[in-house]
Amino acid sequence: MTIGLLIAVGALTSVGVFLITARSLSRIILGFALLGHAVVLALVAAGGEAGEPPLANRVSAETIANPVPQALALTAIVISFGLTLFLLALARRQQELTGDDLVEDDLEDLRVAQ
Amino acid sequence: MIELVFAIHVVGLVGAAIAGRRSIQGALRVAAIAPAATTIWAAESLLSGREPVSASMTWVEQLDLELIFLADSFALMMTLLVSGIGALVFVYASGYFAVDARGSIRFPVTLLGFSVSMLGLVLAESVWTVFIFWEFTSITSFLLVGHKLSDPSAQQAAWRALMITGAGGLSLLAGLLVLTDDVGSVLLADIAGSQTASPLAAVLVLIAVGTKSAQLPFHSWLPGAMAAPTPVSAYLHSATMVKAGVVVMAVLGGAFVDSQTWQWLGLIVGAATTLWGGFVALRQRDLKLILAYGTISQLGLLVTLLAVGTSKAVFAALSIVVAHALFKSALFLVVGEIDIRTGTRNLDELAGLHRSMPVAFVVAVLAGVSMAGIPPLLGFAAKEAAVEAVLKLSGIEQVVAFIGIVGGSVLTVAYTFRMLAGLSRSPEDGRTITALAFRPAMAIPSIIVAGLGLVGFVLLGTINGIVTPAATELNAGSAVYELLRWPGATTALMVSAAVVLVGSTIGAAIHRSETATVLGEPEPVAARVSDASIDGVLRLSRRVTARVQHGSLPVYLLTMSATVVIAAAAFLPAVSVTHLEWAETPVQLVLGLAIAAAAAAGVQVRTRLGAALTLGAVGVAMSGLFILQGAPDLALTQLLVETIVVVGFVTGLGHLARTFPPVTQGWLSVRLGVAVMCGLGVVGALAASSAQPSGSFPAADLLRESVETGGGNNIVNVILTDMRALDTLGEVVVLAVVAVGVIALARTSRSPGRAQ
Repeated sequence: MTIGLLIAVGALTSVGVFLITARSLSRIILGFALLGHAVVLALVAAGGEAGEPPLANRVSAETIANPVPQALALTAIVISFGLTLFLLALARRQQELTGDDLVEDDLEDLRVAQ
Repeated sequence: MIELVFAIHVVGLVGAAIAGRRSIQGALRVAAIAPAATTIWAAESLLSGREPVSASMTWVEQLDLELIFLADSFALMMTLLVSGIGALVFVYASGYFAVDARGSIRFPVTLLGFSVSMLGLVLAESVWTVFIFWEFTSITSFLLVGHKLSDPSAQQAAWRALMITGAGGLSLLAGLLVLTDDVGSVLLADIAGSQTASPLAAVLVLIAVGTKSAQLPFHSWLPGAMAAPTPVSAYLHSATMVKAGVVVMAVLGGAFVDSQTWQWLGLIVGAATTLWGGFVALRQRDLKLILAYGTISQLGLLVTLLAVGTSKAVFAALSIVVAHALFKSALFLVVGEIDIRTGTRNLDELAGLHRSMPVAFVVAVLAGVSMAGIPPLLGFAAKEAAVEAVLKLSGIEQVVAFIGIVGGSVLTVAYTFRMLAGLSRSPEDGRTITALAFRPAMAIPSIIVAGLGLVGFVLLGTINGIVTPAATELNAGSAVYELLRWPGATTALMVSAAVVLVGSTIGAAIHRSETATVLGEPEPVAARVSDASIDGVLRLSRRVTARVQHGSLPVYLLTMSATVVIAAAAFLPAVSVTHLEWAETPVQLVLGLAIAAAAAAGVQVRTRLGAALTLGAVGVAMSGLFILQGAPDLALTQLLVETIVVVGFVTGLGHLARTFPPVTQGWLSVRLGVAVMCGLGVVGALAASSAQPSGSFPAADLLRESVETGGGNNIVNVILTDMRALDTLGEVVVLAVVAVGVIALARTSRSPGRAQ
């Protein structure tokens, strides 16, 4: 782990949380994408020091980078990609229906509270 | 055999549900068959003196959860009462609901459901079986008390009963957990034989007993439960359900023989309850309420005796359980009959009842004399046993028990006398009560139970044959005792004579001053307190719901993020920076700072293009970092994914707003605070965990496995497609679902009207 990576993870997390708590759906999508990056980077950074690409026919066991977090990170990248695309489609739908992209309070929840 | 008993009840439930569609009377008669058959089985088993039968059924094997039943002498005695009186109550109810021509499934099925719950409780042999059936009785009782849906007071009484007995159920569960933990067995026989005497378990179990058996200060639900139809009151609130607490106290009593907490708490609460219940019963005018408070008083008597716990006291307690079940159910049945036929239960309006309803009056006298403990009825023999048990004690324990039992008995005689005197008084203006026609279905069950009090006294040997083995089951020393028809001129008899004399004097005095009403109707303070606390809990829950379920997505997300910060606080002590270096290569630091800068720009982004640029910059820098880290697969995937997302953002999939609304000022400082804390929390957790590396990863093994088993040189790919193949399949499915969702949302876009 290096300070350079920590700064990147910290900034991505902070900005991500700040954006997902916004009212604008577009910002929420941006926030989720940034949070996804933060998680992937944290996973890879937690895997240990940098090394050679884990290709069995090219490198020896002493110098390769840890492949397990890479595999986990690959899954995380793809899933957050799917989530981002779906949110984009939802935002587009909302834009068509209401003309804005604000997340309103849930009326059903409000009714329960009363 | 026990399985068969439960099977008969299940058949009865189905039969009652089918018959109930046509008429409630038919359903009640069908429902009576199951308890009647059970009564015959219990009586036959008791008289034959066979070895007790048992049954068990595995429920959750992994948790070692089993339903275990054992029909020992005590369980059979209780079964006889529960099912015997149950069968009669079903017949009685068919008369009670005679005018109700409509079909009804709810009442017969719930009442039979209660009957089988109570049966399960008395037959239970493991603590979890006890708990489950205990809760079943609470729930069915709630449904029965609230039977009249249109009556708000009945609904409120049902809630009160459910809240109080439900809280007691939780206490019982906690107590049973402590007991099983101490003893290491879930079988009641092991627990009763353990003499663990844990004070915590004693208090928890006694609270449960107190709620179910209406002891001070949990009694308030029982008078309220009189809002139920009278068959329910006669069955649940005199003979059976209120005895559930007493039953649990009796079967667990062995564990607490040496427990001072158990003895003193039970003794004081029981004695106070028996005195208080008797005193309030004296002040009531509603016949049903007189009986309800009388029941509280009698239950206090039982708790006192069981808390004392000597062999004689246990024997006396069980004798009273039998006698009380008979006379109290008879009295309730008669009061229900009076209520139905005259339209009132008020003592003031029922003067001269002995003329207009002679049969009912005779039944009331028979049962009342048994309740007062006067020969020649079963109540006399039982009360003698109780007085003798107290006389055998010593010290302050004897004083408290004596005050409770003798004082309670005096009050019992007094309110019985007042009630019977009130019913046989000649009406002042000479008018007679107009009573509806005689209903055999209502009268015969009450005659049978009241008559059993007399027959039981005559055939005392049979009663001894039931009670003595049952008491021996709970306390081995009880084997030598038996109920006596005439004890001879003992101290106990002198005490009893004095009790009757003083009690009837008080009763007569109150009866004479009835019109003047010296004491007046008591205020139901306890009921109001418990209602207020139930209302308070409901209000609190509404307020909490309004607070936590407010419907605002940003606030939900803020709450979750703040929780993450709290979770990260666990890492704080381990945070260290000494092991950290700035970067492995200068380029890494540059890329890290570039990501941070691009992210920071995202805070203020106002346009779709800006957002896309932010994402693109972060994505490209991430790819660079992956290459430095030695992860070319990640870098490639990241570049590809980022390209698609950026294109998606820029084109906005056609319709996205070009500019974003300005950053709203509401909650801004909170959002910033939580966001910064979240970033710091994650950084802290990473810094802490990297300070204690878990060692190197098995690189050589991974290399070998990848080539030999997976047949691939790219280890990351082998992990994804071979070692975690199922996971990857799930991921592919997720992507497919997303694709379908995106297409569906895009397709419907041109016709928003239809989509709504």
